[in-house]
Amino acid sequence: MNPAPAVKAPGSPAGTVILVGNPNVGKSVVFGALTGRYVNVSNYPGTTVEIARGEARDRGHVYEVIDTPGVYSLLPMSEDERVTRDILMREEGARVLHVCDAKNMRRSLMITLQLAEMEVHFAIAVNMADEAREQGVMPRLDSLEGILGVPAVPTVAVRKKGTDRLLSLLDRLPVSTVRLHYGENIEAAAAGMERLLPARTPVGKRALALMLLCGDDSLTPWIAENVPPARIREMNDLRNRLAEETRGEIAYRVNQTRLAWIDRLLAEMGVEPSAPAGRDYAQAFGRYAMDPVYGIPILLFVLFLAYEFVGVFGAGFLVDLLQRKLFNEWVVPAVAWGADRAIPWRIARDFLVGPYGMVSMALSYAVAIVLPIVGTFFLGFGILEDSGYLPRLAVMVDRIFKKIGCNGKAVLPMVLGLGCDTMATLTTRILDTRKERVIVTLLLALGIPCSAQLGVILGMLASIGAAATVTWLLLMVGIIFLVGYLAAKVIPGESSDFIMEIPPIRWPQFGNLAVKTMARIEWYLREAVPLFLLGTFILFAADRLGWLLWLQRAGSPLVVKMLDLPPKTTEAFLIGFLRRDYGAAGLYSMAKAGMLTHLQVLVSLVTITLFIPCLANLLVIIKEHGGKVAAGMALFIFPFALLVGAALSAAARRLGIHF
Amino acid sequence: MTEHGQDEILELLWTLWEDGKSKREELLRATAEDRPEVLLDELLASGHADASGDDIRLTRSGEERARGIIRRHRLAEVLFHNLFDLDNVQLESSACQFEHILSEPVVESVCTFLGHPPVCPHGRKIPRGECCDRIRTEIQPLVMRLSDATLGATVRIVFITPKSRTRLEKLSALGIVPGSRLRLLQRNPSYVLQIGQTTIAVDKDITDEIFVKHT
Repeated sequence: MNPAPAVKAPGSPAGTVILVGNPNVGKSVVFGALTGRYVNVSNYPGTTVEIARGEARDRGHVYEVIDTPGVYSLLPMSEDERVTRDILMREEGARVLHVCDAKNMRRSLMITLQLAEMEVHFAIAVNMADEAREQGVMPRLDSLEGILGVPAVPTVAVRKKGTDRLLSLLDRLPVSTVRLHYGENIEAAAAGMERLLPARTPVGKRALALMLLCGDDSLTPWIAENVPPARIREMNDLRNRLAEETRGEIAYRVNQTRLAWIDRLLAEMGVEPSAPAGRDYAQAFGRYAMDPVYGIPILLFVLFLAYEFVGVFGAGFLVDLLQRKLFNEWVVPAVAWGADRAIPWRIARDFLVGPYGMVSMALSYAVAIVLPIVGTFFLGFGILEDSGYLPRLAVMVDRIFKKIGCNGKAVLPMVLGLGCDTMATLTTRILDTRKERVIVTLLLALGIPCSAQLGVILGMLASIGAAATVTWLLLMVGIIFLVGYLAAKVIPGESSDFIMEIPPIRWPQFGNLAVKTMARIEWYLREAVPLFLLGTFILFAADRLGWLLWLQRAGSPLVVKMLDLPPKTTEAFLIGFLRRDYGAAGLYSMAKAGMLTHLQVLVSLVTITLFIPCLANLLVIIKEHGGKVAAGMALFIFPFALLVGAALSAAARRLGIHF
Repeated sequence: MTEHGQDEILELLWTLWEDGKSKREELLRATAEDRPEVLLDELLASGHADASGDDIRLTRSGEERARGIIRRHRLAEVLFHNLFDLDNVQLESSACQFEHILSEPVVESVCTFLGHPPVCPHGRKIPRGECCDRIRTEIQPLVMRLSDATLGATVRIVFITPKSRTRLEKLSALGIVPGSRLRLLQRNPSYVLQIGQTTIAVDKDITDEIFVKHT
């Protein structure tokens, strides 16, 4: 059984290829190997939240390749799974590459069976064959091919092994001949259901019939469009009858039958003979990393390394190098020298190198302060992500996160938020329920400082002493928990079960790490630099037009009376609305110039940390949760931030603590 | 049949004792047996009960036997009440029959399945069994919760009683279905399971719903 012959004209599109598979089996790596396009790859289940498309070329054929979020089943149970199934329904006649984890064939084959029922043309990429061979669990693929009737190719996608063979198979993919028998009741109902379906369906009728019987309500839109109401009633009758007969366990029984079949297949298939594996230090580390006792020192050690790398090396050494040596001694004087000679107008010169100049302020902040911190953070985060440590961290903190209405899975967006809150807000999609997504989004916007801001803040706090640093830290942690706890009570909806796959510990691949870090830095700069320039321009214009003084006066009841800060702080808060790291950087200059007392530094930092991180973050919140939720968050966050600042200021003065 | 009758008298002595009663006439008034006097004499003769004047009390051996009967009776009550919603009359008569036929391993499995309930539907205490003890030496019930399984030992899933259908489906997609073999790796700070080559972290309440047997 071959697919309709592909169009042979060289360079013309020969069809669509969809990558399907369990989470964390390497679909995105296979995608990269086939198309040469990079999409975010990590050792963390559920990283792909957006569908990526690319082109693969083979002997004159051009295929459109689609990467999809990982699924455990094609009977959708989450938004991601629905996305993947819907792509299979929409892309009629598309070929499928089923990417499996060679070490977890039992689970992967669940999807294989469903693809077989869908009657799609597909091949199996048995990925991570190297790891499976090392562990002595590599299945014997010749017998698998024989039983399933589709090609199965061993691959090591990170090293591009086997991907060429996959590519060469694309123009002649067969349909699997496997059909399972689910017992008389279900079979009879499935046959009945098939007769009620329209004559033409995007995927195999049997697959659709079983999905409907299993109670897949995500098919509703398709049904509503393609099946007359009278037939829908018949379908419901059929399903209700079967539900009675099976005591409501249709999906469960179907899964059971599939797993039993797979277990027999695996036993029959056997594994490749291999030498017994030696002691595996990486996996031993993996066990200790989630141990209740050893896990904590390991966590502290990881934090220490992260601090040394991002805080000391990035925020200390590199910032110093770039800001003091490069910008203050070379770039700004050079541009000023050039401007003095080339530009006759004073205003244009100030626009470049004045106190609110594009080079002296905007670029200097963006390149000299923010870039080194963000760069080192993303590199460090990439290492953590690819090593497989983060899911173990999720295990460690699951119980704590339960208190704030989430579970351990929320740790990934929260930690990523320490790099960039906007990026992290997008990542909240990996969480299962809307409630969890809203809570994490709120906490990110409120209490998690991004790396750029963190660098500036820690630098300022360090200069005024440990007591202030500890106060700031405790306040932030306290606020995150308090607000999280209350939000969990107030926000309607449910928290999801914590069921998380823990991937093996792996050595990060240098290539992937480099590409990923560069992609993130590029993304960050593209988000941040325009806003830096815009913010500086607003300040420059406001300063020229005298608005700045007016704003300072207007804000003074709030800033001067309530927070007891100098009027100039209004500037920092003002740009803090655009980007809070930029606002913090403004405070940094003020503190350096000796305009703030220690207490004032702390109050202003606490206040600005609690602001919404940046305009881009607000836009992403609107995009992810809608304008109403975003407005609600903003209306809560800004007054709350000022209130906490005022309370801290008043309390410290009353108690006579000046830090 | 005398053993059956003796059991009934022992059971009654236990419940009367719970209510702070021990008089012979109170016993005779409460019993439904045909020849309570004869049965009581048998118990006195076999050393299961002790009489001093009008007072009848259980001896150590009688107490032990009565504890087992009461435990089986009340566990059966919980089972029928929680699972099958039987009304009080049916509850009583069915439990009365069950208390005589349940063997010790079955009782332990029932107790474990019910989550070691402390009281019966009427609010009376259920005597603890060995399976209820957290610190065990060797005897293990046939079926236990996955959360109670020995760390590192391979167990086979017997049945799953999930709170929601989505949870059951999620678990089954991961291969956690009756018949699967798995190992519990750790309980703190989260429950971690190993099934085949897959490691999965889950909430405690999920492992409470998975019932397993040692293989």
